[in-house]
Amino acid sequence: MRLTTLCIMLAAVAVPAVHAEPFDEAVERYRLAMIEDVGQALSGARDLRDRLSKQDIAGARNAWIDARVGWERSEVFTSGFVPELDEAIDAWPDAAAGFHGIEAQLFGADPADGGDKADALIAQLADLDARVRTMKLTPQGLLEGVVRLAYEIGDSKVDGGESRLSGTSLNDMRNNADGIELAYRTLFAPKLEVVDRALAERVQSEIGQLKALLMVADLKSVDADNLRKTSEVLVVALQAAAPKLGLGTPTLEAASR
Amino acid sequence: MIQRFHKAGLIVAATMVLSLRLAASFPIYGHQTVLPAGSELNEQALDVPREIFRSESAGGRKSYLINLGDLAFNSPSLLGGVARQAGMSCGTCHVNGASNPKFYIPHMSTRPGNFDTTGSLFNPKADNGILDPVRIPSLRGAHLLGPYGIDGRNASLRDFARTVIVEEFAGPEPSAALLDALVAYIQDIDFLRNLGLGPAGRLTARASDAERRGEALFVKPFPHNPTMSCATCHVPSSAFVDHRQHDVGSGGMFKTPTLLNADFNAPYFHDGRFDSYDQIVGHFDRVFDLGLSPEEQRDLVAYLTAVGDGERPYERDGVGAALKEISDLASVLDTAIPAHDTDIIVLAVDTVDRELRELTEQFPDHKDPSVTGGQEERRRARGALKDLVLRLSRIGLAASAGQFDVAIVEYRNFRNLSLAAVPNLLRAAQRWSLFNPTVRDAHYAALAQMLQTANK
Repeated sequence: MRLTTLCIMLAAVAVPAVHAEPFDEAVERYRLAMIEDVGQALSGARDLRDRLSKQDIAGARNAWIDARVGWERSEVFTSGFVPELDEAIDAWPDAAAGFHGIEAQLFGADPADGGDKADALIAQLADLDARVRTMKLTPQGLLEGVVRLAYEIGDSKVDGGESRLSGTSLNDMRNNADGIELAYRTLFAPKLEVVDRALAERVQSEIGQLKALLMVADLKSVDADNLRKTSEVLVVALQAAAPKLGLGTPTLEAASR
Repeated sequence: MIQRFHKAGLIVAATMVLSLRLAASFPIYGHQTVLPAGSELNEQALDVPREIFRSESAGGRKSYLINLGDLAFNSPSLLGGVARQAGMSCGTCHVNGASNPKFYIPHMSTRPGNFDTTGSLFNPKADNGILDPVRIPSLRGAHLLGPYGIDGRNASLRDFARTVIVEEFAGPEPSAALLDALVAYIQDIDFLRNLGLGPAGRLTARASDAERRGEALFVKPFPHNPTMSCATCHVPSSAFVDHRQHDVGSGGMFKTPTLLNADFNAPYFHDGRFDSYDQIVGHFDRVFDLGLSPEEQRDLVAYLTAVGDGERPYERDGVGAALKEISDLASVLDTAIPAHDTDIIVLAVDTVDRELRELTEQFPDHKDPSVTGGQEERRRARGALKDLVLRLSRIGLAASAGQFDVAIVEYRNFRNLSLAAVPNLLRAAQRWSLFNPTVRDAHYAALAQMLQTANK
């Protein structure tokens, strides 16, 4: 049933763009959410530095995990709109800087003082925090961010994933999925529900399916095949939605700096 | 003399290849993975075994059945269960139909290159409670090498393939069509050509004196059992096998392994206990009381090395080889879509999808600080491959919905892109990809640095 519906959708001729409601208001609502998420990441990074200065390793680890929540949710826009900060903050593999440089030190057998790295991360997140408040966010760019992140969730994590040292790759994926849902519901669902309710429900259903697949005890319990397929079905559905939203087909890689 | 230097050069080259592969490998890490931490699948190897097919050597091309078998062989879904979750397929152990000397899973292997097929990880019901791994054999020339299994338990390759899937990996019962295809594929994998061997497995004129002396020793009756010689079991005219099981003092009855292309099949013996021909010759000398002098042992090793040789055993992985493999696997859709064979379409989409995603990771994204330059080329390459993945996905969706006309159109687009535009984009980005040894070393060094920092 699900596949049939989607194939009918794929075969359908794109309807003309609808301009019933401008994206501007939705973008600004989404900006507020991003300010909150980046703020959470920044707050977590500051807490991390404070904990490190007190040699509170357990607390620093928790702060690192907390900071990742806001960061992973905001990845919908970071790769496309601030790629240089995206690279600096979330470089991988990199033991020298960014979230993962701190992770390598903090979650190792002998966690040392990572204060310098934390200071650098705070500066970068503060820069991001300032820029997200004023930078131009386009619906096209944000749809592309949603699509890219949805695709990325389906990539293999058989090697332990991005945050393998802290064992929190599954958290990353869940927060990515939350970020996707937030962006979709805030930015695109209201319009799509007007022009193609069935497709809107389809997209929401796939996002729900994606999240459900991540509601497992640990990374190794994720049904990787199903997750990959679901991520692709979601991307295909979002690509089909683009012209109905008056947007171009989203690309799967962010433009180079 | 020239030939001897040539041989020595080949051995040195092979050693360099193995060193390179060691340098490029990276273990699975963390406590959240399906396979235990420290597992080594050797999937990062840059130089991979060269695979040649009897059908192509004969001037023809691989049939649909052979390509389908190749597809199934490289599909984790065929093995199901834990292997599927871990992304492992038959091809993980038998890389390009050969072996995988670096394959290692803690508690399932006692050394790189062996694997306990009756362990608890993949099929707890088959767990015999003993860590008794067997070496991973090469499948080159399998059509000449029955019975099958290290102990020769199955006369039929078809039965053996089913045993591996269902009993060793607890996989779903394979269809008759898939088993036929697997057999067709495996039986099409040929030995590498060996110019040092002529008809009936005799050394050619290019052989060195030591190799010739070794050949004479190989057929010489054992001093305490004149009815036996090395050649009694390793019959030169019969791919160096006798299709039988023997007890050679290694702890049981095991089938005679071929010596053809064996230079590239270490470790040796049923459990992979030996690394070299020197150790093997020493073992037989002791067990059968052969009384070989050190010089005779060296001559036998020279002979085994000559017999076990093969032309260009490894090939450098790269855009061309990866796309050729993907094209061969996807070609199954040429037949399966018009035939409305949904099961095969789904299998092809799933397997090629994985391959394309893996290929995408050869082109590091903008977050990888170990790679400098070519960011736009890498971006285009990644984007093109992701686009192919989604086109494949649409083929699967359409076929599953019974819309085969839509699937054909999507497949045509997939084919056109994968044959022209995508190869060009990938080649343009190759110098900044992990196919470039310098880039690869930098990437894995950065990864290693992360682990070293964590493990200090």
